[in-house]
Amino acid sequence: MSDQPVPASSETPGAAPAPVAAPAPSAPRHEGHSGGHRSEGHSGGGAPRREGFSGGGGGGQRREGGGPGGSGGGPGGPRRGGKRQYFRKKKVCRFCVERVDFIDYKKADMLQPFVQERGKILPRRMTGTCSRHQRWLGEAIKRARNIALLPFATEL
Amino acid sequence: MEERVYDLIFILRPATPEDEINKIIATLETSTAEHGGKIEKTERWGTRRLAYRVAKHREGFFVYMLIHSTQGDIIKELERRLKVNDAVIKYQTIRLDEELKRQKKLQGHRERRASRRPRKQASPPAPAAPQQPFPPAEQPAAS
Repeated sequence: MSDQPVPASSETPGAAPAPVAAPAPSAPRHEGHSGGHRSEGHSGGGAPRREGFSGGGGGGQRREGGGPGGSGGGPGGPRRGGKRQYFRKKKVCRFCVERVDFIDYKKADMLQPFVQERGKILPRRMTGTCSRHQRWLGEAIKRARNIALLPFATEL
Repeated sequence: MEERVYDLIFILRPATPEDEINKIIATLETSTAEHGGKIEKTERWGTRRLAYRVAKHREGFFVYMLIHSTQGDIIKELERRLKVNDAVIKYQTIRLDEELKRQKKLQGHRERRASRRPRKQASPPAPAAPQQPFPPAEQPAAS
């Protein structure tokens, strides 16, 4: 990561906004105002903010992973700066990985991680479950609730 | 008629004596047999904590049964018997055969695909191509 400045300069020619890198001294000021232009802000403020570069480098992947998540509503702070630096790992459906064809409602301890503390079913965007398995999972959780293996809501 | 598979779980009061439990299970067995069904499996899960209060109990004795039957009437009869019994505080019957069928189908698909895969190995360049943009981007960062 510390060696970033050199590769970054080699990377920017590939990217479109390379010429913008020329007015480097003026760019840092722009960064504060024009938060929307990520790539420009990064290329300009390359020297002072290295972290910005690492974020920009992973931009392609981040957009895929973070875009659908949509949970950026809460953290307004990072968006103000015009960049979300954290890298979100792509979530994979746990059931698809294990090739589960049937989710057993009798194994309540297996369903537990997909339920909130208050007993709510966790949404897909939190767990990364695929739509098909989420459907099966919801069914299993509801069955388990019915026979008192899982709570509908926690009691006082 | 097609055979159906059912899951039957019922919960007894935690203070139910052992003989009583045996008696209930025995009556269920006889009545399934009368209706031409078969109890494939009976499991006693023992006393477990309930996730919520049922009939003022926080614990219950769980009994699980796997039933095969060609007639759906059997479930009506079993549930009636459970409802009548005072020791039973909760029961649930679930028809499972369609899900088991789906499971079998998916397993079949997977096996067929797995057996077909060796032939397909000749054409992975297509998925490999879109992946390339990422490695070059990482390589300069590593150097």
